[in-house]
Amino acid sequence: MEKSVTYSTAGSVGKSLLLALPMFLLIFIFISGGKPDFSSTGNLIAFVITFLFFSYLFFMILYTGKTDRYRATGFIALALFFALVFIVNMIKARGSMTFSQENFLACDIPFCHIVTTMILIPIVFTKSIIFPGNIIEGFASISTMLVIVIGVSLALGRGFCSWGCFYGGWDEGTSRILHKPMIKKVNPMFRWMPFAVLLLVALTAAITLVPTYCDWLCPFKTVTEYEQVTSTSSLMKAIVFASLFAGLVLLLPLLTKKRIQCATFCPFGALSSLTNKINVFDVRIDREKCNDCKKCITVCPTLSINEKEIENGHSSMTCTKCGKCIDACAHQAIHFHIKGTPPDKRLTLARTLFLFPSFLLLVIFTGGTMEYGITLIIKLITTGSLIK
Amino acid sequence: MQLPEGFLLGLSTGAVCMAYCGPVLIPYLLGEGHTVRRNVGHVILFLAGRFAGYVVIGLIAGLAGQLLIRPSATKTVIIAVIYVILAALLIAYGFYRFREICLGQVQEKVKKLYFGRWPALVPMAGGVITGLNICPPFLLAIAKAVDAGNAATSIRLFIMFFLGTSLFFIPFPFVGFFRRQQVLRAIGKFAAILVGLFYIYRGIFMLIH
Repeated sequence: MEKSVTYSTAGSVGKSLLLALPMFLLIFIFISGGKPDFSSTGNLIAFVITFLFFSYLFFMILYTGKTDRYRATGFIALALFFALVFIVNMIKARGSMTFSQENFLACDIPFCHIVTTMILIPIVFTKSIIFPGNIIEGFASISTMLVIVIGVSLALGRGFCSWGCFYGGWDEGTSRILHKPMIKKVNPMFRWMPFAVLLLVALTAAITLVPTYCDWLCPFKTVTEYEQVTSTSSLMKAIVFASLFAGLVLLLPLLTKKRIQCATFCPFGALSSLTNKINVFDVRIDREKCNDCKKCITVCPTLSINEKEIENGHSSMTCTKCGKCIDACAHQAIHFHIKGTPPDKRLTLARTLFLFPSFLLLVIFTGGTMEYGITLIIKLITTGSLIK
Repeated sequence: MQLPEGFLLGLSTGAVCMAYCGPVLIPYLLGEGHTVRRNVGHVILFLAGRFAGYVVIGLIAGLAGQLLIRPSATKTVIIAVIYVILAALLIAYGFYRFREICLGQVQEKVKKLYFGRWPALVPMAGGVITGLNICPPFLLAIAKAVDAGNAATSIRLFIMFFLGTSLFFIPFPFVGFFRRQQVLRAIGKFAAILVGLFYIYRGIFMLIH
Protein backbone atom coordinates (compact mmCIF):
# COMPACT_ATOMS: atom_id res chain seq x y z
CA MET A 1 0.00 0.00 0.00
CA GLU A 2 1.39 3.39 -1.02
CA LYS A 3 1.98 5.61 2.00
CA SER A 4 3.11 9.18 2.40
CA VAL A 5 6.27 9.62 4.49
CA THR A 6 5.66 13.24 5.32
CA TYR A 7 3.07 12.84 8.06
CA SER A 8 4.05 11.46 11.46
CA THR A 9 1.09 9.08 11.68
CA ALA A 10 1.68 7.57 8.22
CA GLY A 11 2.89 3.99 8.45
CA SER A 12 2.33 3.77 12.22
CA VAL A 13 -0.70 1.73 13.32
CA GLY A 14 -0.37 2.82 16.95
CA LYS A 15 -0.10 6.55 16.27
CA SER A 16 -2.89 6.42 13.70
CA LEU A 17 -5.23 4.56 16.06
CA LEU A 18 -4.47 6.91 18.91
CA LEU A 19 -5.16 9.98 16.83
CA ALA A 20 -8.28 8.39 15.34
CA LEU A 21 -9.83 7.47 18.71
CA PRO A 22 -11.54 10.83 19.30
CA MET A 23 -13.01 10.60 15.81
CA PHE A 24 -14.30 7.06 16.51
CA LEU A 25 -16.15 8.44 19.52
CA LEU A 26 -17.55 11.33 17.51
CA ILE A 27 -18.66 8.95 14.76
CA PHE A 28 -20.48 6.85 17.36
CA ILE A 29 -22.20 9.90 18.83
CA PHE A 30 -23.24 11.47 15.55
CA ILE A 31 -24.53 8.29 13.97
CA SER A 32 -26.49 7.20 17.01
CA GLY A 33 -27.51 10.69 18.15
CA GLY A 34 -26.31 9.68 21.61
CA LYS A 35 -29.02 7.00 21.85
CA PRO A 36 -28.13 3.98 19.73
CA ASP A 37 -31.18 2.06 18.56
CA PHE A 38 -30.53 -1.66 18.47
CA SER A 39 -34.19 -2.61 18.72
CA SER A 40 -33.98 -4.71 15.60
CA THR A 41 -31.31 -6.78 13.88
CA GLY A 42 -31.57 -4.52 10.83
CA ASN A 43 -30.87 -1.40 12.89
CA LEU A 44 -27.93 -3.07 14.58
CA ILE A 45 -26.41 -4.21 11.29
CA ALA A 46 -26.90 -0.76 9.76
CA PHE A 47 -25.28 0.94 12.72
CA VAL A 48 -22.31 -1.40 12.82
CA ILE A 49 -21.69 -1.13 9.08
CA THR A 50 -21.88 2.65 9.15
CA PHE A 51 -19.68 2.96 12.20
CA LEU A 52 -17.03 0.60 10.86
CA PHE A 53 -17.17 2.24 7.42
CA PHE A 54 -16.36 5.72 8.68
CA SER A 55 -13.92 4.55 11.30
CA TYR A 56 -12.03 2.60 8.65
CA LEU A 57 -11.94 5.58 6.29
CA PHE A 58 -10.56 7.94 8.91
CA PHE A 59 -8.02 5.46 10.18
CA MET A 60 -6.77 4.85 6.65
CA ILE A 61 -6.52 8.59 5.95
CA LEU A 62 -4.17 8.85 8.90
CA TYR A 63 -2.33 5.55 8.39
CA THR A 64 -1.63 5.94 4.67
CA GLY A 65 -1.20 9.70 4.70
CA LYS A 66 -3.48 9.77 1.65
CA THR A 67 -6.73 11.76 1.77
CA ASP A 68 -8.59 11.77 -1.50
CA ARG A 69 -9.52 8.16 -2.20
CA TYR A 70 -10.93 7.62 1.29
CA ARG A 71 -12.69 10.99 1.35
CA ALA A 72 -14.18 10.27 -2.07
CA THR A 73 -15.50 6.90 -0.89
CA GLY A 74 -17.44 8.56 1.92
CA PHE A 75 -18.46 11.45 -0.31
CA ILE A 76 -19.90 9.20 -3.01
CA ALA A 77 -21.71 7.18 -0.33
CA LEU A 78 -23.25 10.45 0.88
CA ALA A 79 -24.62 11.28 -2.57
CA LEU A 80 -26.04 7.82 -3.21
CA PHE A 81 -27.61 7.28 0.21
CA PHE A 82 -28.95 10.82 0.32
CA ALA A 83 -30.74 10.32 -2.98
CA LEU A 84 -32.10 6.93 -1.87
CA VAL A 85 -33.40 8.22 1.47
CA PHE A 86 -34.77 11.45 0.00
CA ILE A 87 -36.67 9.71 -2.77
CA VAL A 88 -38.09 7.07 -0.41
CA ASN A 89 -39.20 9.80 2.03
CA MET A 90 -40.86 11.77 -0.75
CA ILE A 91 -42.71 8.70 -1.97
CA LYS A 92 -43.85 7.90 1.57
CA ALA A 93 -44.97 11.47 2.23
CA ARG A 94 -46.42 12.42 -1.15
CA GLY A 95 -46.69 9.23 -3.16
CA SER A 96 -44.14 10.34 -5.77
CA MET A 97 -40.95 12.34 -6.35
CA THR A 98 -42.97 15.32 -7.56
CA PHE A 99 -44.36 18.25 -5.64
CA SER A 100 -47.55 20.10 -6.43
CA GLN A 101 -48.87 23.62 -5.95
CA GLU A 102 -50.36 22.47 -2.65
CA ASN A 103 -46.89 21.55 -1.37
CA PHE A 104 -45.67 24.97 -2.50
CA LEU A 105 -48.42 26.81 -0.71
CA ALA A 106 -47.91 24.70 2.41
CA CYS A 107 -44.19 25.69 2.42
CA ASP A 108 -43.37 22.01 2.33
CA ILE A 109 -40.26 22.12 0.13
CA PRO A 110 -36.94 21.15 1.78
CA PHE A 111 -34.28 23.88 1.65
CA CYS A 112 -30.87 23.09 0.24
CA HIS A 113 -27.63 25.08 0.41
CA ILE A 114 -27.73 26.15 -3.25
CA VAL A 115 -30.83 28.27 -2.56
CA THR A 116 -28.63 30.49 -0.37
CA THR A 117 -27.27 32.16 -3.52
CA MET A 118 -30.72 33.38 -4.49
CA ILE A 119 -32.25 34.52 -1.23
CA LEU A 120 -29.56 36.94 -0.05
CA ILE A 121 -30.49 40.00 -2.18
CA PRO A 122 -34.27 39.64 -1.68
CA ILE A 123 -33.76 39.25 2.10
CA VAL A 124 -31.91 42.56 2.18
CA PHE A 125 -34.35 44.52 0.01
CA THR A 126 -37.70 42.89 0.72
CA LYS A 127 -37.08 41.26 4.12
CA SER A 128 -38.64 38.08 2.83
CA ILE A 129 -37.35 34.61 1.99
CA ILE A 130 -38.26 33.72 -1.57
CA PHE A 131 -38.42 29.98 -1.01
CA PRO A 132 -41.49 27.88 -0.16
CA GLY A 133 -39.90 26.11 2.77
CA ASN A 134 -40.45 25.86 6.49
CA ILE A 135 -38.43 28.38 8.46
CA ILE A 136 -37.97 26.42 11.67
CA GLU A 137 -39.63 23.02 11.66
CA GLY A 138 -39.46 19.89 9.60
CA PHE A 139 -36.91 18.27 7.34
CA ALA A 140 -34.22 20.67 6.05
CA SER A 141 -35.79 23.81 7.47
CA ILE A 142 -34.48 27.14 6.22
CA SER A 143 -32.99 28.28 9.50
CA THR A 144 -31.17 24.99 10.12
CA MET A 145 -29.65 24.88 6.68
CA LEU A 146 -28.59 28.53 6.77
CA VAL A 147 -26.82 28.04 10.11
CA ILE A 148 -25.05 24.96 8.72
CA VAL A 149 -24.04 26.74 5.52
CA ILE A 150 -22.69 29.80 7.33
CA GLY A 151 -20.86 27.72 9.93
CA VAL A 152 -19.28 25.35 7.45
CA SER A 153 -18.30 28.14 5.07
CA LEU A 154 -16.49 29.95 7.85
CA ALA A 155 -14.81 26.76 9.07
CA LEU A 156 -13.84 25.11 5.80
CA GLY A 157 -14.43 27.64 3.02
CA ARG A 158 -15.11 25.78 -0.18
CA GLY A 159 -14.16 22.56 1.56
CA PHE A 160 -17.92 22.07 1.88
CA CYS A 161 -17.94 21.10 -1.79
CA SER A 162 -15.71 18.08 -1.20
CA TRP A 163 -16.66 17.10 2.32
CA GLY A 164 -20.32 17.99 2.87
CA CYS A 165 -22.28 18.60 -0.31
CA PHE A 166 -24.82 15.83 -0.76
CA TYR A 167 -24.83 16.36 -4.55
CA GLY A 168 -21.12 16.57 -5.30
CA GLY A 169 -20.61 12.85 -4.85
CA TRP A 170 -22.46 12.23 -8.11
CA ASP A 171 -19.97 13.82 -10.41
CA GLU A 172 -17.17 12.77 -8.07
CA GLY A 173 -18.25 9.20 -8.68
CA THR A 174 -18.75 9.41 -12.44
CA SER A 175 -15.40 11.19 -12.83
CA ARG A 176 -13.65 8.15 -11.36
CA ILE A 177 -15.18 5.44 -13.54
CA LEU A 178 -12.74 5.56 -16.45
CA HIS A 179 -9.06 4.98 -15.92
CA LYS A 180 -8.03 7.71 -18.39
CA PRO A 181 -9.96 10.74 -19.66
CA MET A 182 -11.33 10.62 -23.17
CA ILE A 183 -11.36 14.42 -23.31
CA LYS A 184 -7.94 15.39 -22.03
CA LYS A 185 -8.03 19.17 -22.26
CA VAL A 186 -10.58 21.27 -20.39
CA ASN A 187 -10.05 25.01 -20.65
CA PRO A 188 -9.21 26.18 -17.09
CA MET A 189 -11.14 29.42 -17.67
CA PHE A 190 -14.34 27.41 -17.30
CA ARG A 191 -13.73 27.41 -13.56
CA TRP A 192 -15.00 31.01 -13.58
CA MET A 193 -18.31 30.12 -15.21
CA PRO A 194 -20.00 29.34 -11.87
CA PHE A 195 -19.47 33.00 -10.97
CA ALA A 196 -21.39 34.03 -14.08
CA VAL A 197 -24.16 31.60 -13.10
CA LEU A 198 -24.10 33.02 -9.57
CA LEU A 199 -24.35 36.59 -10.89
CA LEU A 200 -27.28 35.74 -13.12
CA VAL A 201 -29.30 33.59 -10.70
CA ALA A 202 -28.80 36.15 -7.93
CA LEU A 203 -29.96 38.99 -10.22
CA THR A 204 -32.87 37.11 -11.77
CA ALA A 205 -34.02 35.83 -8.39
CA ALA A 206 -33.94 39.40 -7.10
CA ILE A 207 -35.97 40.63 -10.10
CA THR A 208 -38.55 37.88 -10.22
CA LEU A 209 -38.57 36.92 -6.50
CA VAL A 210 -38.38 33.30 -7.62
CA PRO A 211 -35.36 31.04 -6.92
CA THR A 212 -34.54 30.78 -10.62
CA TYR A 213 -31.78 28.16 -10.31
CA CYS A 214 -34.10 25.84 -8.41
CA ASP A 215 -36.96 26.57 -10.76
CA TRP A 216 -35.07 26.02 -14.00
CA LEU A 217 -31.52 24.81 -13.76
CA CYS A 218 -30.78 22.53 -10.82
CA PRO A 219 -29.68 19.19 -12.29
CA PHE A 220 -30.12 17.42 -8.96
CA LYS A 221 -33.87 17.63 -9.14
CA THR A 222 -33.45 14.44 -11.15
CA VAL A 223 -32.43 12.59 -7.98
CA THR A 224 -34.50 14.42 -5.37
CA GLU A 225 -37.80 16.07 -6.22
CA TYR A 226 -39.27 18.17 -9.00
CA GLU A 227 -42.40 20.01 -10.04
CA GLN A 228 -45.28 17.93 -11.37
CA VAL A 229 -45.35 18.07 -15.16
CA THR A 230 -48.73 19.60 -15.82
CA SER A 231 -47.94 22.24 -18.46
CA THR A 232 -45.56 23.08 -21.31
CA SER A 233 -43.53 25.22 -18.94
CA SER A 234 -43.07 22.45 -16.36
CA LEU A 235 -42.25 20.02 -19.16
CA MET A 236 -39.56 22.40 -20.46
CA LYS A 237 -38.15 22.69 -16.95
CA ALA A 238 -38.01 18.90 -16.63
CA ILE A 239 -36.21 18.59 -19.96
CA VAL A 240 -33.70 21.28 -18.94
CA PHE A 241 -32.76 19.84 -15.56
CA ALA A 242 -32.68 16.25 -16.78
CA SER A 243 -30.43 17.25 -19.68
CA LEU A 244 -28.13 19.16 -17.36
CA PHE A 245 -27.91 16.14 -15.08
CA ALA A 246 -27.14 13.84 -17.98
CA GLY A 247 -24.57 16.22 -19.40
CA LEU A 248 -22.89 17.94 -16.46
CA VAL A 249 -23.15 15.21 -13.84
CA LEU A 250 -22.92 11.97 -15.79
CA LEU A 251 -21.45 12.31 -19.27
CA LEU A 252 -18.88 15.11 -19.07
CA PRO A 253 -17.35 14.01 -15.74
CA LEU A 254 -17.08 10.50 -17.20
CA LEU A 255 -15.27 11.75 -20.30
CA THR A 256 -13.04 14.37 -18.68
CA LYS A 257 -12.46 12.86 -15.22
CA LYS A 258 -13.29 16.30 -13.80
CA ARG A 259 -16.18 17.29 -11.57
CA ILE A 260 -17.77 19.34 -14.32
CA GLN A 261 -21.02 20.34 -12.54
CA CYS A 262 -19.11 21.49 -9.46
CA ALA A 263 -16.24 23.10 -11.35
CA THR A 264 -18.13 24.88 -14.12
CA PHE A 265 -21.75 25.41 -13.11
CA CYS A 266 -22.71 25.33 -9.45
CA PRO A 267 -23.44 28.86 -8.15
CA PHE A 268 -23.06 27.77 -4.54
CA GLY A 269 -19.53 26.67 -5.38
CA ALA A 270 -18.84 30.18 -6.61
CA LEU A 271 -20.29 31.72 -3.45
CA SER A 272 -18.30 29.46 -1.16
CA SER A 273 -15.15 30.13 -3.22
CA LEU A 274 -15.41 33.67 -1.89
CA THR A 275 -15.30 32.28 1.66
CA ASN A 276 -12.03 30.53 0.75
CA LYS A 277 -10.48 33.98 0.91
CA ILE A 278 -11.27 34.33 4.62
CA ASN A 279 -11.04 30.69 5.60
CA VAL A 280 -8.10 29.67 7.77
CA PHE A 281 -7.18 26.58 5.73
CA ASP A 282 -5.65 26.53 2.28
CA VAL A 283 -3.53 24.29 0.05
CA ARG A 284 0.11 25.32 -0.39
CA ILE A 285 2.71 24.32 -2.94
CA ASP A 286 6.34 24.21 -1.88
CA ARG A 287 8.22 25.68 -4.85
CA GLU A 288 11.52 24.21 -3.70
CA LYS A 289 10.23 20.65 -3.75
CA CYS A 290 8.05 21.11 -6.86
CA ASN A 291 9.66 19.84 -10.08
CA ASP A 292 6.94 21.27 -12.40
CA CYS A 293 5.71 17.86 -13.50
CA LYS A 294 2.15 19.38 -13.52
CA LYS A 295 0.57 16.18 -12.28
CA CYS A 296 -1.45 18.31 -9.85
CA ILE A 297 -2.92 20.28 -12.76
CA THR A 298 -3.91 17.05 -14.50
CA VAL A 299 -5.59 15.46 -11.49
CA CYS A 300 -7.36 18.49 -9.99
CA PRO A 301 -11.08 17.76 -10.45
CA THR A 302 -12.20 21.40 -10.19
CA LEU A 303 -9.58 23.08 -12.44
CA SER A 304 -8.22 24.88 -9.37
CA ILE A 305 -4.52 24.59 -10.16
CA ASN A 306 -2.66 25.85 -13.20
CA GLU A 307 0.87 27.09 -13.92
CA LYS A 308 0.16 30.47 -12.39
CA GLU A 309 -1.05 28.94 -9.12
CA ILE A 310 2.03 26.69 -8.97
CA GLU A 311 4.21 29.75 -9.39
CA ASN A 312 2.30 31.58 -6.66
CA GLY A 313 2.62 28.62 -4.33
CA HIS A 314 -1.05 27.95 -3.57
CA SER A 315 -4.21 26.64 -5.22
CA SER A 316 -6.90 28.93 -6.62
CA MET A 317 -9.80 30.33 -4.60
CA THR A 318 -11.98 27.68 -6.29
CA CYS A 319 -10.08 24.87 -4.53
CA THR A 320 -12.42 22.45 -2.73
CA LYS A 321 -9.65 20.98 -0.55
CA CYS A 322 -10.30 17.43 -1.71
CA GLY A 323 -6.64 16.43 -1.28
CA LYS A 324 -6.25 14.88 -4.73
CA CYS A 325 -3.30 17.05 -5.76
CA ILE A 326 -1.63 16.43 -2.42
CA ASP A 327 -1.89 12.66 -2.88
CA ALA A 328 -0.78 12.83 -6.52
CA CYS A 329 2.37 14.86 -5.94
CA ALA A 330 5.32 12.49 -6.12
CA HIS A 331 7.62 14.99 -4.41
CA GLN A 332 5.16 15.76 -1.58
CA ALA A 333 5.35 19.43 -2.40
CA ILE A 334 1.66 20.15 -1.74
CA HIS A 335 -0.02 20.18 1.66
CA PHE A 336 -2.95 21.43 3.67
CA HIS A 337 -1.88 24.58 5.44
CA ILE A 338 -3.08 26.97 8.13
CA LYS A 339 -2.80 30.58 7.05
CA GLY A 340 -0.33 32.58 9.04
CA THR A 341 1.94 29.60 9.79
CA PRO A 342 5.15 28.63 7.97
CA PRO A 343 4.19 26.55 4.93
CA ASP A 344 6.85 23.87 5.42
CA LYS A 345 6.52 23.34 9.18
CA ARG A 346 4.13 21.20 11.24
CA LEU A 347 2.59 19.55 8.21
CA THR A 348 0.97 16.77 10.24
CA LEU A 349 -0.61 19.26 12.64
CA ALA A 350 -2.03 21.40 9.83
CA ARG A 351 -3.41 18.34 8.06
CA THR A 352 -4.92 16.91 11.25
CA LEU A 353 -6.50 20.22 12.22
CA PHE A 354 -8.13 20.35 8.78
CA LEU A 355 -9.14 16.68 8.67
CA PHE A 356 -10.99 16.59 11.95
CA PRO A 357 -13.66 19.21 11.17
CA SER A 358 -13.94 18.24 7.53
CA PHE A 359 -14.28 14.50 8.15
CA LEU A 360 -16.69 15.23 10.97
CA LEU A 361 -18.80 17.23 8.53
CA LEU A 362 -18.84 14.21 6.22
CA VAL A 363 -19.91 11.98 9.09
CA ILE A 364 -22.65 14.36 10.22
CA PHE A 365 -24.15 14.59 6.74
CA THR A 366 -23.67 10.96 5.77
CA GLY A 367 -23.88 8.97 8.98
CA GLY A 368 -27.58 9.05 9.78
CA THR A 369 -28.50 9.00 6.11
CA MET A 370 -26.32 5.98 5.41
CA GLU A 371 -27.57 4.12 8.46
CA TYR A 372 -31.17 4.69 7.46
CA GLY A 373 -30.34 3.85 3.85
CA ILE A 374 -28.86 0.51 4.88
CA THR A 375 -32.00 -0.33 6.91
CA LEU A 376 -34.04 0.44 3.79
CA ILE A 377 -31.85 -1.88 1.72
CA ILE A 378 -32.20 -4.60 4.35
CA LYS A 379 -35.95 -4.03 4.27
CA LEU A 380 -35.90 -4.33 0.48
CA ILE A 381 -34.00 -7.61 0.68
CA THR A 382 -36.21 -9.09 3.40
CA THR A 383 -39.64 -7.78 2.37
CA GLY A 384 -39.23 -6.89 -1.29
CA SER A 385 -40.25 -3.27 -0.72
CA LEU A 386 -38.53 -0.02 0.27
CA ILE A 387 -41.73 1.78 1.19
CA LYS A 388 -43.94 -0.55 3.23
CA MET B 1 -50.63 62.67 -16.56
CA GLN B 2 -48.35 65.65 -15.85
CA LEU B 3 -44.82 65.48 -17.26
CA PRO B 4 -43.04 65.70 -13.88
CA GLU B 5 -45.11 62.67 -12.89
CA GLY B 6 -43.46 60.78 -15.75
CA PHE B 7 -40.10 61.63 -14.21
CA LEU B 8 -41.29 60.62 -10.75
CA LEU B 9 -42.69 57.35 -12.10
CA GLY B 10 -39.28 56.62 -13.63
CA LEU B 11 -37.56 57.52 -10.38
CA SER B 12 -39.82 55.31 -8.29
CA THR B 13 -39.54 52.28 -10.55
CA GLY B 14 -36.04 52.73 -11.98
CA ALA B 15 -34.56 50.08 -9.72
CA VAL B 16 -36.66 47.51 -11.56
CA CYS B 17 -35.42 48.83 -14.92
CA MET B 18 -31.88 48.60 -13.61
CA ALA B 19 -32.53 45.00 -12.55
CA TYR B 20 -33.96 44.10 -15.97
CA CYS B 21 -31.16 45.80 -17.90
CA GLY B 22 -28.38 44.73 -15.54
CA PRO B 23 -28.13 41.12 -16.79
CA VAL B 24 -27.48 42.51 -20.29
CA LEU B 25 -25.28 45.50 -19.44
CA ILE B 26 -23.15 44.13 -16.60
CA PRO B 27 -21.77 41.13 -18.57
CA TYR B 28 -20.88 43.50 -21.41
CA LEU B 29 -19.07 46.01 -19.15
CA LEU B 30 -17.27 43.23 -17.28
CA GLY B 31 -16.34 41.53 -20.53
CA GLU B 32 -14.88 44.66 -22.07
CA GLY B 33 -12.65 45.43 -19.09
CA HIS B 34 -12.43 49.15 -19.82
CA THR B 35 -11.81 52.10 -17.50
CA VAL B 36 -14.61 53.85 -15.61
CA ARG B 37 -14.36 56.79 -18.01
CA ARG B 38 -14.73 54.60 -21.08
CA ASN B 39 -17.56 52.69 -19.44
CA VAL B 40 -19.43 55.98 -19.11
CA GLY B 41 -19.35 56.10 -22.90
CA HIS B 42 -20.60 52.52 -23.14
CA VAL B 43 -23.45 53.23 -20.72
CA ILE B 44 -24.36 56.37 -22.67
CA LEU B 45 -24.50 54.29 -25.86
CA PHE B 46 -26.67 51.75 -24.08
CA LEU B 47 -28.97 54.49 -22.79
CA ALA B 48 -29.10 56.00 -26.27
CA GLY B 49 -30.29 52.67 -27.58
CA ARG B 50 -32.77 52.44 -24.74
CA PHE B 51 -33.97 55.94 -25.51
CA ALA B 52 -34.60 54.96 -29.11
CA GLY B 53 -36.58 51.98 -27.90
CA TYR B 54 -38.60 54.16 -25.55
CA VAL B 55 -39.36 56.68 -28.32
CA VAL B 56 -40.60 53.89 -30.56
CA ILE B 57 -42.82 52.55 -27.80
CA GLY B 58 -43.92 56.07 -26.97
CA LEU B 59 -44.99 56.63 -30.58
CA ILE B 60 -46.88 53.37 -30.76
CA ALA B 61 -48.51 54.01 -27.39
CA GLY B 62 -49.71 57.37 -28.55
CA LEU B 63 -50.93 56.22 -31.95
CA ALA B 64 -52.32 52.77 -31.18
CA GLY B 65 -51.66 52.26 -27.47
CA GLN B 66 -54.26 49.58 -26.94
CA LEU B 67 -52.13 47.33 -29.12
CA LEU B 68 -49.41 47.32 -26.47
CA ILE B 69 -51.65 46.72 -23.50
CA ARG B 70 -53.99 44.02 -24.76
CA PRO B 71 -52.48 40.54 -25.13
CA SER B 72 -52.19 39.63 -28.79
CA ALA B 73 -50.41 37.08 -30.93
CA THR B 74 -48.75 39.84 -32.99
CA LYS B 75 -47.27 41.49 -29.93
CA THR B 76 -46.02 38.14 -28.64
CA VAL B 77 -44.34 37.29 -31.95
CA ILE B 78 -42.66 40.70 -32.14
CA ILE B 79 -41.31 40.44 -28.60
CA ALA B 80 -40.17 36.85 -29.20
CA VAL B 81 -38.24 37.86 -32.31
CA ILE B 82 -36.67 40.74 -30.37
CA TYR B 83 -35.56 38.28 -27.69
CA VAL B 84 -33.98 35.94 -30.22
CA ILE B 85 -32.08 38.84 -31.86
CA LEU B 86 -30.83 40.01 -28.46
CA ALA B 87 -29.83 36.46 -27.63
CA ALA B 88 -27.84 36.04 -30.84
CA LEU B 89 -26.09 39.35 -30.21
CA LEU B 90 -25.18 38.46 -26.64
CA ILE B 91 -23.94 34.97 -27.52
CA ALA B 92 -21.87 36.31 -30.41
CA TYR B 93 -20.42 38.95 -28.11
CA GLY B 94 -19.68 36.32 -25.49
CA PHE B 95 -17.48 34.44 -27.93
CA TYR B 96 -15.89 37.60 -29.36
CA ARG B 97 -12.26 37.87 -28.25
CA PHE B 98 -12.80 35.03 -25.77
CA ARG B 99 -9.58 33.36 -26.82
CA GLU B 100 -7.76 36.59 -26.03
CA ILE B 101 -8.93 36.37 -22.44
CA CYS B 102 -8.30 32.63 -22.16
CA LEU B 103 -4.99 32.23 -23.90
CA GLY B 104 -3.71 35.76 -24.49
CA GLN B 105 -4.08 35.15 -28.21
CA VAL B 106 -4.84 37.87 -30.70
CA GLN B 107 -8.49 38.03 -31.72
CA GLU B 108 -9.44 36.07 -34.77
CA LYS B 109 -10.09 37.97 -37.95
CA VAL B 110 -13.53 36.52 -38.53
CA LYS B 111 -14.89 37.73 -35.24
CA LYS B 112 -13.26 41.11 -35.81
CA LEU B 113 -15.55 41.60 -38.77
CA TYR B 114 -18.56 43.03 -36.98
CA PHE B 115 -17.61 43.96 -33.46
CA GLY B 116 -14.28 45.42 -34.52
CA ARG B 117 -15.77 47.67 -37.19
CA TRP B 118 -18.78 48.72 -35.17
CA PRO B 119 -17.72 48.75 -31.51
CA ALA B 120 -20.91 50.56 -30.53
CA LEU B 121 -23.03 47.68 -31.87
CA VAL B 122 -23.40 45.71 -28.66
CA PRO B 123 -24.23 48.47 -26.18
CA MET B 124 -26.57 50.32 -28.54
CA ALA B 125 -28.38 47.26 -29.80
CA GLY B 126 -28.55 45.91 -26.26
CA GLY B 127 -30.07 49.21 -25.19
CA VAL B 128 -32.63 49.24 -28.02
CA ILE B 129 -33.73 45.72 -27.34
CA THR B 130 -33.96 46.10 -23.57
CA GLY B 131 -35.77 49.37 -24.21
CA LEU B 132 -38.35 47.49 -26.24
CA ASN B 133 -38.66 44.90 -23.49
CA ILE B 134 -41.84 45.91 -21.73
CA CYS B 135 -41.06 45.54 -18.03
CA PRO B 136 -43.76 46.27 -15.37
CA PRO B 137 -42.91 49.96 -14.75
CA PHE B 138 -42.78 50.48 -18.48
CA LEU B 139 -46.20 48.88 -18.84
CA LEU B 140 -47.53 51.31 -16.27
CA ALA B 141 -46.01 54.21 -18.18
CA ILE B 142 -47.58 52.87 -21.40
CA ALA B 143 -50.99 52.69 -19.77
CA LYS B 144 -50.64 56.29 -18.63
CA ALA B 145 -49.40 57.32 -22.06
CA VAL B 146 -52.42 55.78 -23.74
CA ASP B 147 -54.56 58.04 -21.58
CA ALA B 148 -52.55 61.01 -22.87
CA GLY B 149 -54.36 60.67 -26.17
CA ASN B 150 -51.71 62.00 -28.60
CA ALA B 151 -48.27 60.99 -29.86
CA ALA B 152 -46.42 64.17 -28.85
CA THR B 153 -47.52 63.99 -25.21
CA SER B 154 -46.74 60.28 -25.13
CA ILE B 155 -43.20 60.87 -26.39
CA ARG B 156 -42.60 63.68 -23.90
CA LEU B 157 -43.91 61.47 -21.11
CA PHE B 158 -41.61 58.64 -22.11
CA ILE B 159 -38.63 61.01 -22.27
CA MET B 160 -39.29 62.10 -18.69
CA PHE B 161 -39.83 58.49 -17.64
CA PHE B 162 -36.55 57.58 -19.36
CA LEU B 163 -34.67 60.36 -17.53
CA GLY B 164 -36.07 59.20 -14.20
CA THR B 165 -34.98 55.60 -14.76
CA SER B 166 -31.58 56.54 -16.21
CA LEU B 167 -30.37 57.93 -12.90
CA PHE B 168 -30.19 54.32 -11.70
CA PHE B 169 -27.59 53.54 -14.35
CA ILE B 170 -25.03 55.87 -12.77
CA PRO B 171 -23.32 53.06 -10.76
CA PHE B 172 -22.76 50.81 -13.80
CA PRO B 173 -19.58 52.49 -15.17
CA PHE B 174 -17.81 51.87 -11.85
CA VAL B 175 -17.47 48.25 -12.88
CA GLY B 176 -14.37 49.68 -14.55
CA PHE B 177 -12.58 49.73 -11.20
CA PHE B 178 -12.22 45.96 -11.61
CA ARG B 179 -10.91 46.16 -15.17
CA ARG B 180 -7.49 44.70 -14.35
CA GLN B 181 -9.05 41.46 -13.30
CA GLN B 182 -8.87 39.19 -16.35
CA VAL B 183 -11.07 36.80 -14.44
CA LEU B 184 -13.92 39.31 -14.31
CA ARG B 185 -13.72 39.74 -18.06
CA ALA B 186 -14.12 35.99 -18.46
CA ILE B 187 -17.07 36.02 -16.04
CA GLY B 188 -18.64 38.83 -18.07
CA LYS B 189 -18.27 36.83 -21.28
CA PHE B 190 -19.73 33.71 -19.72
CA ALA B 191 -22.61 35.73 -18.30
CA ALA B 192 -23.33 37.24 -21.74
CA ILE B 193 -23.54 33.76 -23.26
CA LEU B 194 -25.80 32.49 -20.47
CA VAL B 195 -28.11 35.51 -20.73
CA GLY B 196 -28.20 34.94 -24.48
CA LEU B 197 -29.22 31.32 -23.97
CA PHE B 198 -31.96 32.45 -21.60
CA TYR B 199 -33.34 34.94 -24.14
CA ILE B 200 -33.17 32.37 -26.93
CA TYR B 201 -35.17 29.95 -24.83
CA ARG B 202 -37.67 32.64 -23.88
CA GLY B 203 -38.09 33.82 -27.47
CA ILE B 204 -38.51 30.33 -28.88
CA PHE B 205 -40.89 29.34 -26.08
CA MET B 206 -43.05 32.39 -26.78
CA LEU B 207 -43.10 31.60 -30.51
CA ILE B 208 -44.06 27.97 -29.93
CA HIS B 209 -46.53 28.63 -27.18
